[in-house]
Amino acid sequence: MANITKKVSWSSRADESGATGEGTPLLNGSEQPRHSRQDSLRGRPKEIPHNEKLLSLKYESLDYDNIENQLFLEEERRMSHMGFRCLEISRWVVCGLIGFLTGLIACFIDIVVEELAGIKYQVVKENIEKFTEVGGLSISLILWAVFNSAFVMVGAIIVAYFEPIAAGSGIPQIKCYLNGVKIPRVVRLKTLVVKVGGVICSVVGGLAVGKEGPMIHSGAVVAAGVSQGRSTSLKRDFKIFEYFRRDTEKRDFVSAGAAAGVSAAFGAPVGGVLFSLEEGASFWNQMLTWRIFFASMISTFTLNFFLSIYHNKPGDLSNPGLINFGRFETESVAYNLYEIPLFIAMGAIGGLLGALFNVLNYWLTIFRIRYVHRPCLQVMEAMLVAAVTATVSFTMIYFSNDCQPLGPDHTEEYPLQLFCADGEYNSMATAFFNTPERSVRSLFHNQPGTYNPLTLGLFTLTYFFLACWTYGLAVSAGVFIPSLLIGAAWGRLFGILLASITTTGSTWAVPGKYALMGAAAQLGGIVRMTLSLTVIMVEATGNITYGLPIMLVLMTSKIVGDYFVEGLYDIHIKLQSVPFLHWEAPATSHWLTAREVMSSPVTCLNRIEKPAKLCGLILRSQLIVLLKHKVFVELARSRLTHRKLQLKDFRDAYPRFPPIQSIHVSQDERECMMDLMEFMNATPYTVPQETSLPRVFKLFRALGLRHLVVVDDENRVVGLVTRKDLARYHLGKHGLEELQLAQT
Amino acid sequence: MSPYRHSSFWGFIVFNICVLVSGDGANLTASEVPPLSSVVVSSAVFKPGLGSVLSLNLLSSFPEDLEISDYCSELLHIFGQRYVAYVNCLVPAARPVKVCQNCFSSYGSLTEIFSNISSDQVGPGNVSCRDSLLRSDRLMLVYELYENLKVLWEKSDCHNCITKGFQNLTSDTLHFMTTLNQTLTCFEQYQQKNKTELCTNCKTDYKNLNVLYGGMEKNKTMCIDIEDAMNMTRRLWSKNFNCSFPREETVPVIAVSSFMLFLPIIFYLSSFLHSEQKKRKLIHPNRAKSYSSLMNIQDNRS
Repeated sequence: MANITKKVSWSSRADESGATGEGTPLLNGSEQPRHSRQDSLRGRPKEIPHNEKLLSLKYESLDYDNIENQLFLEEERRMSHMGFRCLEISRWVVCGLIGFLTGLIACFIDIVVEELAGIKYQVVKENIEKFTEVGGLSISLILWAVFNSAFVMVGAIIVAYFEPIAAGSGIPQIKCYLNGVKIPRVVRLKTLVVKVGGVICSVVGGLAVGKEGPMIHSGAVVAAGVSQGRSTSLKRDFKIFEYFRRDTEKRDFVSAGAAAGVSAAFGAPVGGVLFSLEEGASFWNQMLTWRIFFASMISTFTLNFFLSIYHNKPGDLSNPGLINFGRFETESVAYNLYEIPLFIAMGAIGGLLGALFNVLNYWLTIFRIRYVHRPCLQVMEAMLVAAVTATVSFTMIYFSNDCQPLGPDHTEEYPLQLFCADGEYNSMATAFFNTPERSVRSLFHNQPGTYNPLTLGLFTLTYFFLACWTYGLAVSAGVFIPSLLIGAAWGRLFGILLASITTTGSTWAVPGKYALMGAAAQLGGIVRMTLSLTVIMVEATGNITYGLPIMLVLMTSKIVGDYFVEGLYDIHIKLQSVPFLHWEAPATSHWLTAREVMSSPVTCLNRIEKPAKLCGLILRSQLIVLLKHKVFVELARSRLTHRKLQLKDFRDAYPRFPPIQSIHVSQDERECMMDLMEFMNATPYTVPQETSLPRVFKLFRALGLRHLVVVDDENRVVGLVTRKDLARYHLGKHGLEELQLAQT
Repeated sequence: MSPYRHSSFWGFIVFNICVLVSGDGANLTASEVPPLSSVVVSSAVFKPGLGSVLSLNLLSSFPEDLEISDYCSELLHIFGQRYVAYVNCLVPAARPVKVCQNCFSSYGSLTEIFSNISSDQVGPGNVSCRDSLLRSDRLMLVYELYENLKVLWEKSDCHNCITKGFQNLTSDTLHFMTTLNQTLTCFEQYQQKNKTELCTNCKTDYKNLNVLYGGMEKNKTMCIDIEDAMNMTRRLWSKNFNCSFPREETVPVIAVSSFMLFLPIIFYLSSFLHSEQKKRKLIHPNRAKSYSSLMNIQDNRS
């Protein structure tokens, strides 16, 4: 017992860490002393401009490994067979709730966007009609720009000032979370509120964005919230689901939430499950998959049900998903063997354009991180983008000569006539003067001849740059729909050109079909998702016959795109300096051993023997809880009535453990001892010093570890491998490169 | 009597098809002519004799109880006459479309007779014609013929312009027609003169018409007649007389948009020049004492 009774050392370090704040983690317990030493040795630490080759200290790992301490074992022993049954049932209940709430949120976003956008377009349309007659169209232009900026301003303010993590699509963040990185504040209620509000504002504000990506983040937040049975933001504890208050369980629910989000966004339950599989596949089992599928289905169903009520067709459950690609009629869209090479060529084009998009966005994002980092600047930037989007759209519509007769069934929601003959509408306006989802649908389904090639070409070009410019602004918005829209536009153009070049083309080159392939190619070229995207596209079109061509298109676009640059989400993860662990350790890294990789020396909490033989592993958060409850040996002796600390106390503190400086420890208590026997994980995973990096990596990735202890021959601790130690190696252009740690 | 009846039936069908095919709108007001004479006339004129005789020979061998009753054949005959009348009315009204206003009454009488045929009610002699006329064979000719016209009627949305019971045109439609006539008169008036004069003088009329049409479009009280008339008028107005709005504000629009496009350039330049570049503090992690192998790693520290 003696050698595990540790005296908590109260050096001046604790105070110093208090000064640096919560954001400075005690990395492996070894960060702080080094920091101060370094300051004194080399003066100020080196400062460099932000770039992609950094790892931020802000991020920690999630504890996916069960902490098997004595408390845990005790609790398990006390739990009856019935208790385990109940747990399993409550898991299902939670998944059902996740699906239901996610569907409800999707429904809310959809309805609010539709209503607000309806009002906006109606007002602008009336204004344009009025001024076409009497003159003064520049006033309409300004009105449109002001409308857009105003909405976007609201959206940008709530994001930039209240919850910056809610910016963007949220898919990179969820990817990181499922990978095992704890991104601060990513699954909080506040984030959800800001996200939902922000996405409504940015879509209504007419930016080149979609509301689908944020749905995935929203679903994840819902899952993380529901499964905990309480909200720390609202300070309400419902005293349910207490068993799920740890990272392992929460991760499973978050993956269910992400799947529910995808399924609500695209009406693709299977696609949702596969998305979770693709992004978080290292932790997976059969029962979990089944539960996730359940959550996905419930979410689609809920969305469907409430939308059917909204559309005054209660009970009609055949319109799933926020974006509905509409049905492709089977006769008009049959494809032939000789079209397959054409599809593959389209995939290659999509890959090239996607790579261009990503490269441009990469430079833009670096510029933004370096220079546009103050919230007021971010808000201004977003407003400017909104105004320019309106301006460009207006100018395009104004100078377009493409007039088309109004269809009998009015697929165009807000037809603008402008200078067209009466009874005709401006074809450019259907693409620009509309929410992006509707534009996608009209590109897929409108009759051949609805758009002329010049219109489509100009639209593709402008929308490409607008979308590229928009992604990465401080607004919450997704990149799915803009990519689909760009792709659908050039795909349709491709189809029209094919029909005009070849003699028989007009019979088989149906523009809608090529628009779909183009959309798939462009989206694949930008985000580089494979399996899940194929299934999502197939499900969203409701046409299984397109499975093969869509798969081929996505494959080609990924291969071509990967030749130039990574996918958009990976770029953004890198630029956020997240210690993201890929599937495999970088190739050619077998010569690196654990000794080089590890952090050392480790702060061992041991008084008697030094360096200690490994007895167990204890987390900082656990120590904090222990200190908070003052579990000192001396106190326990004097007060026999002292309540024994239980696992519940740790769970109550989860996930927001108080910072070390908020805990008051009196002078007397500083001399006290603490018995960690019960609380530490007595059997942590260890590796010998000579283990190669790929082996360490595999162990780490597959088990979802947070710490891996490196021991010598005599089981003495020599170092500690954490996520950041592994993530810093990556294969660059000049062989193996090492990323640097930085404070962000 | 019954074989003869049959010959009349077959002869009539052939005759009817001939009319449909020729479609010249021969002046057959087949309304109150007694059935028998009509048949006689038809076979006399169209000479489908051979076929009719053949069928007659074939059919004459059926026993009595499989034949259709007199009552039914009477109904069938009336149906045929009204059918012809309606088709005759439709064809000349094809262009410009006037199918609703001209032919609604004949469609009304056609539906009436068809509903008689298809009703459950048994006529004299305890027979229901529904089964014998409508569905005793694969072809279901009577049913198909009627169904075709019904689809046409529904496609043309004529029910929106006609009052219940096919009595009359609705007041909305009549009102629209008067406004339309007003506009067209105005067009005629100024057509010979200056086109710009037409644009200014007929504007109020045309606009009224447009507003009226917009209202009907919203209420969904339009039929094909109105749509077509409006389309033609609009084409006259926009294409023939060139009265659409000209694009004449190019300069202010370009000015405003170039100003807008200029703003982001200023924004990015100023934030590049004035905003402090964000620097990251590098942290050198503690490692076990250096190894020679570390030298192999590309050192990218700038």
